[in-house]
Amino acid sequence: MQLTHLNTHGEANMVDIGDKEPSRREAVASGRVRMAPATLELLGAGELPKGDVLATARIAGIQAAKRTAELIPLCHALSLSKVSVDFTLDRDAGVVKVEALCRLTERTGVEMEALTAVSVACLTLYDMCKAVDKEMVIEAIQLERKQGGVRGDYQRSRTPLVTGDGTPGEVSLGERCELSPCVKVKFLAELRERVGTSELSLSLDRLQSRDVAGLKAALIAQDASFAVLEEPRTLCAINQVMANDAALITDEDEVAFFPPVTGG
Amino acid sequence: MSDPRIIVTVQEAAFDLDEGYAALLEGRCDIGAVVGFTGLVRDFNETPEVTALTLEHYPGMTERALGDIAAQACARWALTGVVIIHRVGRLAPGDPIVRVLAASAHRRDAFEGCDFIMDILKTRAPFWKKEHSTGGDYWVKERESDARDAARW
Repeated sequence: MQLTHLNTHGEANMVDIGDKEPSRREAVASGRVRMAPATLELLGAGELPKGDVLATARIAGIQAAKRTAELIPLCHALSLSKVSVDFTLDRDAGVVKVEALCRLTERTGVEMEALTAVSVACLTLYDMCKAVDKEMVIEAIQLERKQGGVRGDYQRSRTPLVTGDGTPGEVSLGERCELSPCVKVKFLAELRERVGTSELSLSLDRLQSRDVAGLKAALIAQDASFAVLEEPRTLCAINQVMANDAALITDEDEVAFFPPVTGG
Repeated sequence: MSDPRIIVTVQEAAFDLDEGYAALLEGRCDIGAVVGFTGLVRDFNETPEVTALTLEHYPGMTERALGDIAAQACARWALTGVVIIHRVGRLAPGDPIVRVLAASAHRRDAFEGCDFIMDILKTRAPFWKKEHSTGGDYWVKERESDARDAARW
């Protein structure tokens, strides 16, 4: 992996994008401001001394996106076609969530613009509320996704609270497979992070034997990172019941792989 | 004897320590003992400075596994009822994670049933802990001592 903003001597270098074709690009970034419940209440009710906090923070974020090139040394000046900044008050988590979207048709990406919009919107929220709450924390400023460009699309992999859908007491088979007959495969917890995906569907025709061992072999043939499935500590469940290598798989089964459990 | 009452809940919200207690006892006078266990988040575990914990689970399978463990306990000991409440999501040190109540006519059944439930839960129920510490985040490794504890039964 080469850092594009350093030249071969390790010096800072603005990338020449003149030869790239302009294309449509979009980036979404997010962040949070953690604050006391009382502050969140005042914010929601519009009763903070400096006035309309969210409207002010939104304008600040949009302005900041347009001025990213002045703040970040090696960023190109871009003419953005759209910038939006949205806020969600999450009273249970005690945070204001900030999300910014930037879009344009250009030769370079807009993730720095989206991240700058979120950062400055968060700072403005802080400024507007600091009279009543000095304990606020700005946190988790991150790129959520980007589309377009030569390096392809990026989507932050969620580390979900729960893995997959389903309500208590109900077996979830998830979405129906597009291929038929097929098996739906889930990867949970640490295993999801190691293989880099949370779920996929596979045609049963790709399995040499229609059992767990056959599924593992087909996945490993598809991508070497699935070799982790062969480790003895990796566990497996079919339709949410523990299963071993010899267990048979039938159409539309849900097979989950996961590490040893650590609850309690 | 009527069927044992089994109450299993997986939730994000905090719970009260007496949650499920009244439901276990309601309308019966044959219960002589209720044993309760509470598991809490420690601020030291695999690293000395744990700042938070995120618990992930496998919805559907989790509830089924907890229900099975409670039913096994009721089959082995003369329990009149079992409550298992397990939290998921982000928790802070000192927060309760899990609560187990076991009720029986005589205390020995309740003590042993509760002990059994926790040992089996820790090795069978599909929950995974990720610890957040000052040094970074990591998935908690399974412990050999937990497997040994479960093997006692």
